[in-house]
Amino acid sequence: MKVAVLAKEVPDLEAQVKVAGGGTSLDIEKRRVLNFFDEIAVEAALKLKESAGAETYAVSAGAGVDALRRALAMGIPGAFHIEDPALADAGPLTVARALAAFVQKEGFDLVLAGKQATDDEAGLVGPMVAELLGVPCVVGIVSLEASDGSVRVSRHTDTGVEVVDLPLPAVVTAEKGLYEPRVPAVTGVMKAMKAKIEKSSLADLGVEAEPGPKVLGYQPPAKRSAIKMIPGEPAEAASQLVQLLRDEAKAL
Amino acid sequence: MEFQLTEEQEFFRQTVADAVDRIIMPKVEDIDEHPDDFPWDVWNEFTSLGYLGLRYPEDVGGMDVDTVTAQLFYQELARASCGFAMAVTMNMLMGTYFLHRFGNEDIINRLMIPAIQGKKIGVICFTEDQSGTDVGATRTSATKVDGGWVINGTKNWITNGPICDFCTVICQTDPSKGARGLDFFLIEKGFEGFSHGQILHKLGAQGPITGELIFDNVFVPEDHFLGDEVGRGAQHLTDILNEVRCMTASQAIGITVTALKDALEYARARKAFGRTIGEYQLIREKFARIAAHLEAAKLMVFRTAWMIDEEKAGRGPNPREEAFLTKWFACEMCMTAVDEVMRIYGGNGFAREYGPQRYFRDARFLLYGGGTQEIIRDFIGGQMVKGKWQPRL
Repeated sequence: MKVAVLAKEVPDLEAQVKVAGGGTSLDIEKRRVLNFFDEIAVEAALKLKESAGAETYAVSAGAGVDALRRALAMGIPGAFHIEDPALADAGPLTVARALAAFVQKEGFDLVLAGKQATDDEAGLVGPMVAELLGVPCVVGIVSLEASDGSVRVSRHTDTGVEVVDLPLPAVVTAEKGLYEPRVPAVTGVMKAMKAKIEKSSLADLGVEAEPGPKVLGYQPPAKRSAIKMIPGEPAEAASQLVQLLRDEAKAL
Repeated sequence: MEFQLTEEQEFFRQTVADAVDRIIMPKVEDIDEHPDDFPWDVWNEFTSLGYLGLRYPEDVGGMDVDTVTAQLFYQELARASCGFAMAVTMNMLMGTYFLHRFGNEDIINRLMIPAIQGKKIGVICFTEDQSGTDVGATRTSATKVDGGWVINGTKNWITNGPICDFCTVICQTDPSKGARGLDFFLIEKGFEGFSHGQILHKLGAQGPITGELIFDNVFVPEDHFLGDEVGRGAQHLTDILNEVRCMTASQAIGITVTALKDALEYARARKAFGRTIGEYQLIREKFARIAAHLEAAKLMVFRTAWMIDEEKAGRGPNPREEAFLTKWFACEMCMTAVDEVMRIYGGNGFAREYGPQRYFRDARFLLYGGGTQEIIRDFIGGQMVKGKWQPRL
């Protein structure tokens, strides 16, 4: 079985983000990591590698290679980088086309991705890739079992757990809880530091960039007002709370 | 002159930081609160990642990283727990150095390699009741007998000594020669006459178990003599001390980085007289001062580490004085910074519920390892007055 992991590089969740240019752009601290959900997808690919001898590789479209290095450090043997200046302003459809063209060329039985990226939270690329490849897709899976020619996955729904058998080839996206990603061992880290990452451009893949949706403006979230703690016995505190809600907050 | 990490080093630093945040950080308070228990769970999980082989060559399962990159590891480790970092560095540096350099194949395979995999605890023993920095005053003796040596003496302050599987012990082989009569011997757990004595209760740097080791007529076979010829132990020791001092300085940097990060968060949130305390000039001045000293210490650490690599490659002088000064400056810097951070926290700085008191207790331990702060300045000043050394930059 051949497994492709779509790996996106995103700002670290602790990176400082500021609205800049009078609301026209974002100034994001340069701390780049592998997307949280993609890291779970990498772990799932490694589990298939270890349990079923799956052949695995990771592919990333965008500016940097930190996401790919992380995947290499965790144990994915091959990493490919789609790098193109046009990707900077491109929308998710262009990214999906590039990734789909790449995995089509490289070959795959299963494509694994995170259910969404922690920067734009759109969750579009995984299903778009499935559509472009013309294969079935399940998003937000919390379990994954592979057998000959198919996978059984499950996902949480509002009413319970949905179990789906998917014929391969297919695309699935990982939700928190599928696996706990491993901490890379130093041998993997050293390998990742020295690894040559193969690059290709959009033209190499026969993909033309289309501009994505245009962002009209950014606004920082409103500052939360100070929290007031009401000390004392529960009964007294509750009556004081009701009074404040009525008189001060005018909420009642 | 370049002043930035390579892309690979930055990736390495980030990966170590992530491992430290996931495995060690959640346990740091627990480690601090249980000084009598070695944190085996954290130890096993962290050492299984293989980082303890970092500075050894690949033929023994190491990664052969340069000394500059190794500093990133020491700094990230100490950012979480100074005590745990000491336990790790004892195994990966001092505790295995002489085995790797002078041990035969059996010693390498049976002891040294398992130690850098975290499966055995290896330590080094210098300090005695009347000697520490002054190794020439060592009284533990090694006497030549048929087929080996007999060791007698007591060592103090041995990090992880009471739980070690083996130890490298500095002994007098010729008491008439002082520092020129010193040699290293390997002693294994289970050797007759080898036992541990009192366990020390430290103020900080919790994690490793620190205590006394007793050698009562311990016979060691000839292959447990770790050296080339008798009497050159002190000389071999100097080959590793630069690295140890640089590593100690990196630990000081790690502690300071965390203390500073915490203090900034605190100063942004804590209010006094209607303003956050970060809005007061006297608090801001503290941050600027800590930052300047921290930057200076980092520059010294990276330069000394670079000089160590240059010397190993035969391209530069022995940076003995630089390593001494780096250790001295970084540890003083850390001590002052954590003191200021406690003040920024006000009364909370004195509370066990907050971090700064731990950083303060941990920082104090760094003052002694690798030479006391007082000896260092006496030595460096002496070298300068005698015209033997002057600042090289």
